[in-house]
Amino acid sequence: MTASASTMGTSPEAGPAGPATANRLTAHQLTLAYEDRTVVDGLDLEIPDGEVTVIVGPNACGKSTLLRALGRLLRPRGGAVLLDGTDLARIPTKKIARSVGLLPQTPVAPEAITVADLVSRGRQPHQHWWQQWSAEDERAVTDAMERTDVTALADRPVDELSGGQRQRVWIAMALAQETDLLLLDEPTTYLDISHQVDVLDLVRQLNHERGRTVVAVLHDLNQAARYADHLIAMKTGRIVARGRPEDIVTAELVHEVFGLESAVVPDPVTGTPSSSRARLGEPRRAERGGACGAGPKRGVAEAGHGPKRGAGRSGALLSRAGARG
Amino acid sequence: MAYLCVGEGFVAPAGAVKAVLHTQWGLGPATPNDLVVGTLRLPRMTLGLLVGAAFGIAGALIQTVARNPLASPDIIGVSQGASAVTVGAMTYGIGSFTVLPYLSVAGGLTAAALVYVFAWRGGLHAARFVLIGIGFAVALRSITHLFLTKGDYLVAQQAKVWMTGSLNGRGWGEAAPLGWALLVLLPGVLWAARAQRTVSLDDDTATALGVRLGRVRLGLASLGIVLASMATGAAGPVDFVALLAPQIARRMTRTAQIPLLCSALTGAFIVVTADLLARKLFAPTELPVGVLTAAVGAPYLIHLLLSSGGRGRKGGTAA
Repeated sequence: MTASASTMGTSPEAGPAGPATANRLTAHQLTLAYEDRTVVDGLDLEIPDGEVTVIVGPNACGKSTLLRALGRLLRPRGGAVLLDGTDLARIPTKKIARSVGLLPQTPVAPEAITVADLVSRGRQPHQHWWQQWSAEDERAVTDAMERTDVTALADRPVDELSGGQRQRVWIAMALAQETDLLLLDEPTTYLDISHQVDVLDLVRQLNHERGRTVVAVLHDLNQAARYADHLIAMKTGRIVARGRPEDIVTAELVHEVFGLESAVVPDPVTGTPSSSRARLGEPRRAERGGACGAGPKRGVAEAGHGPKRGAGRSGALLSRAGARG
Repeated sequence: MAYLCVGEGFVAPAGAVKAVLHTQWGLGPATPNDLVVGTLRLPRMTLGLLVGAAFGIAGALIQTVARNPLASPDIIGVSQGASAVTVGAMTYGIGSFTVLPYLSVAGGLTAAALVYVFAWRGGLHAARFVLIGIGFAVALRSITHLFLTKGDYLVAQQAKVWMTGSLNGRGWGEAAPLGWALLVLLPGVLWAARAQRTVSLDDDTATALGVRLGRVRLGLASLGIVLASMATGAAGPVDFVALLAPQIARRMTRTAQIPLLCSALTGAFIVVTADLLARKLFAPTELPVGVLTAAVGAPYLIHLLLSSGGRGRKGGTAA
């Protein structure tokens, strides 16, 4: 299978640096490299506005690298990432920070910082030397903490929190930045399955309530299929498939991307495609994701219930039910 | 206050105040304590306060940039650069005390500039900056020793006192330029206090917040290095103050970043207290203040090293 065209039904891929691009964040002929190792070569990409885009792929496929480039943490070797049609390299970084928020994979909080203090630092791009803290800043921080349910933790030091709480605090910081686009690099890594679901539900909710564009890198295909409007499957720096999960997730795709023989059945709860190992026995590499990798997500698929298409795809309850299997 | 009263001869607090008023502002009658308090102790104390404050802020800034409590201007080569140039100048007969402070400032800045050049690779990276700084410090120290061995015995003796850092025999002449420099750099320090908020986050997060990390780090480090060089020029490299003051200040205030004002006050307090003890402890022999700060600082450094082992990997990963 080759890189299939977007099934979004939007206008065909825009031409070079085309002004016609409807979507705010695009990449054109993007080449990304570390030292002399090229990770991504000549990639074109459009992030659909107002949707949740999830990038999946095996380890070292370049998905995090791509996300870093979209958030200008990595300077492209060739090509460009365009925000509203302008090369990111030509936009002042502070101006980018008012449109694009990014939560890195393993952010590090300063020692002894409190939750409220950390969240308030998300306001940095909106502050000026002549105005350091406005009512607007205050509102944004309060709002961000409420949405992520960390208001009660406001005065606690971040290093005393549990992994799940800490991740919510970081998301709150990124939210306080109040950007239209939010990039999340493996936001569920290091979290147990219930906290993973919490975080992903939160992401969905953010997208629903404000129409925020979210791009998340995930390594779990089932989670990706469940939460994405637009799925991008990558392998060795190439996009293997993109589109709606129910249109593109097939046994062949799973085999091509992850090298795994699997059966794809609709998730009994959400109706989204869900894959599981077709044959057991021969040892295969385990998915990354810590000790909790063997979550009940496989059980869901293996139960092999018929499709229940009627179920919606959003909402905390449904996803939780899926997680419980 | 105690500093003004205690010395080879004790002066009652009231007498000390009178002496200060008379010598400084011509208020009140002349007192017998005018010379000791007003002309010797007051300028020396002022210098001590300024030097301590400058070292305190310098240390806070460099520790912020390096994200490492062990970094300080006397570890990354600033003090060593100042020493090498000053001792070299002394050895080759430029012994005038009016020129030496400026030479040592130049030495400190040059050393720091070299460290920059070698550490710069499309931006200032904390770890590389500190490691290269340590390398330079070692190299410069051996150059200083080369000068010391080559030079005249008496000059070497004099140079050694300078190298430990001493307030002995110094006063307004050194304090005034340092005071002005601090005043001029004040806006920079205010900017730095704000910039610290984002620099103390990790690189990716700070960049995502729209901070031009390379430039901000360069600004913070430069400010710290200028302050440290000025202080070194005025009193010699008073060891460990820049290392200790910010850490003590941080532990006192429990803030997320190293507090600049509190570091300055702590640094000032450390230097003046240490100098008071240095004058008094083995009286009539006056120790250089640097001996005392080092004697207190070294055990604290070991404590920091031991306790930082346990805090090393806090942050990103959850249990």
